Amino acid sequence: MFYDDIQFGTRMITLMAAGMLVTQLLIVGQRLLPTSIRLFSLQSFLLACLANTVAYFNHARHIYIAAFLTLLLKVIVMPLFLNRIVKRTSETTEVQSYLNTPVSILICGGLTLIGYMVAHPFIKPHQRGHSTLAVATALFLMGFFLMMNRRKAISQVLGLLTAENGLFLAAISLTYGMPLIVELGIFFDVLIAVMIFEILVYRISEIFDSLDTSKLRRLRG
Amino acid sequence: MTLLFLLLAPLAESSACLMLRSRVLMERVSIASASLNFILAIILVRDVGRYQSVSLLRGFLFADALSALVILLTAFVALVCSVYAVGYFRWDLRRQTVTPGRLKEYYTLTPLFVFAMFLVASANNLGVMWVAIEGTTLASVLLIAFYNRKTSLEAAWKYIIIGSIGISLALFGTLLCYYAAAHVVGTESIEGLNWSRLMAAARDLDPEAMRLAFILILMGYGTKAGIAPMHTWKPDSYSEAPIPSAAVLAAAVLNCALYGIIRFHILASKCLGTKFSSGLLLWFGIGSMLTATPFILVQTNFRRLLAYSSIDHTGIMLVGVGVGGSLGPFGALLHMVYHAIAKPLLFFCAGNVQQKFETAQFRRIGGGVLKVMPVTGVLFLASTLAVTGTPPFSLFQSEFTVLSASLQAQNLWVAGIFVGCVVTIFAGFLHHIGHLNLGSARPGAARSDSDWWRLSPMLLLASLTVLFGVWLPFPLLNLLQQAARIVGGTP
Repeated sequence: MFYDDIQFGTRMITLMAAGMLVTQLLIVGQRLLPTSIRLFSLQSFLLACLANTVAYFNHARHIYIAAFLTLLLKVIVMPLFLNRIVKRTSETTEVQSYLNTPVSILICGGLTLIGYMVAHPFIKPHQRGHSTLAVATALFLMGFFLMMNRRKAISQVLGLLTAENGLFLAAISLTYGMPLIVELGIFFDVLIAVMIFEILVYRISEIFDSLDTSKLRRLRG
Repeated sequence: MTLLFLLLAPLAESSACLMLRSRVLMERVSIASASLNFILAIILVRDVGRYQSVSLLRGFLFADALSALVILLTAFVALVCSVYAVGYFRWDLRRQTVTPGRLKEYYTLTPLFVFAMFLVASANNLGVMWVAIEGTTLASVLLIAFYNRKTSLEAAWKYIIIGSIGISLALFGTLLCYYAAAHVVGTESIEGLNWSRLMAAARDLDPEAMRLAFILILMGYGTKAGIAPMHTWKPDSYSEAPIPSAAVLAAAVLNCALYGIIRFHILASKCLGTKFSSGLLLWFGIGSMLTATPFILVQTNFRRLLAYSSIDHTGIMLVGVGVGGSLGPFGALLHMVYHAIAKPLLFFCAGNVQQKFETAQFRRIGGGVLKVMPVTGVLFLASTLAVTGTPPFSLFQSEFTVLSASLQAQNLWVAGIFVGCVVTIFAGFLHHIGHLNLGSARPGAARSDSDWWRLSPMLLLASLTVLFGVWLPFPLLNLLQQAARIVGGTP
């Protein structure tokens, strides 16, 4: 049957990793904030599915827990959080970047290439879904690019979260995840981080009447 | 058991402060708990001196001399800051720059901050260490945004964004380290990232992965330590956070971040040979010193001046570890101790002046601080001399040790740049702080110094800076030597 077939598993993993890359590119090209948040949710869903597949085919039970947490936190809780911030701060929902979309997409293409170059020495042909590490590195780099390119505070947070997704993907593809307690710690930290980001975003929008971080430029030298 | 108590005490303190209503009680709880932590840290130092290392909870917590040193310094800095904070925040309350609710935030978050730092130094697992270092960032963001001014929110935002990027790089590095060890140590159990396990298997780690891991860790934790060019959050945060938090950031968190780098440095040099990681540390160390120097010369704000001085000192410690040899690591750790004593003093002086004159700009104060605030002024000048490494103060000793280590390693260009930076920074610092303190005061400034809550920890720190330069208590010296051997790779 197909669910015993390791070849099938490998293909599924590659397919989902490719899906994550596509969603990341869509986020980079997306101009509306709510849609970006939905895309992030989709990306995290793909990640959770991918983690489940890896857990199933490699009999690595602790990945199921991490996959479940991804599903709970990144697919459901964090998008809710982010949407709530968008609503409460009643900002315009357009993201506003420093660079325009075509240039951003071109840069992300370059970052994907870099991802493949960095991942090259670690790729062993016999390993299942061996291009996932390259995708993970690319996601990681693009997440940083998003953080730098966006003006709005919330879209910077979103960039960080996608970079975080890339890291988790790398963890799965390199070593089938980290020790469970570390993974729990990481999830806990990410959750707290998003909450703190939320507090800060509220305070910034209260005091500056805007979430445009390019207005934060008083401290110099 | 000491380790466990060390972790539990701050947590208990934090929840107590969350429930307490009265300010006086919160102050007392925080001082009592900080003193308890300090005593526990001393007990830990004694234990480590006796048994080389202690571990607990089946190896989940682990402390050797290096961890004990970092814990001791953290507990010490937290203690002096808790005393100083009483006077500092009472003044702020009187001036109504903070509300009692905000103050509660401070007393609840600070113990969590301290807890995270203790966990950094006592976690055996490098992954848990990462979680704890991220914890220090999260616990301190709201402390930086404490005053809720435009500038402090900007500083907090920069801090968390830059810190998050750095910390995810470090996570990637930790991950690669796990990967490098996976084929030796095995995965799926927590042991795969345990420091004691990794050290035992260090020679068999995958060198390619370890090399990349170390670079990522250096960039990642280096962001937290404020190594140039990842230092840009530092001047903003140090100048916007309330003084006690800024002092903890500058004198304790710095050590924890360096601790993370040093752990990986030990691992990497055992796996790849000493050249690779030492070389990188040396480059980044010298780079930080060179970056800090011009900014110190042209600085207009004394809080930011302190931040650049901290970048310079991070550089000095990295150079010490990087040049290696028999003296280098010892010099670096000695510098860590002296820095943890002198830096809070400098911050406290700056805090007193800033509260009195309500500005941190040199130009708006003019001069004559010495006349208006005699005790603070004298201490300010003394601590400036101390921090720039002038004899008879202790930092001269450690800087000299690092310098002789680089001469011993025949690294002439390092020694040259080192001396150049130290001398230039000395001149710049003395120029700024001298102008601030000497000369005549602006008319209208009433002559009154800070209260004893603030002055007494400062006097203690000042006497320690002088005393420790000529005489180190034997247990501390022993601990330092033990820790230096660990850093040097021969425990």
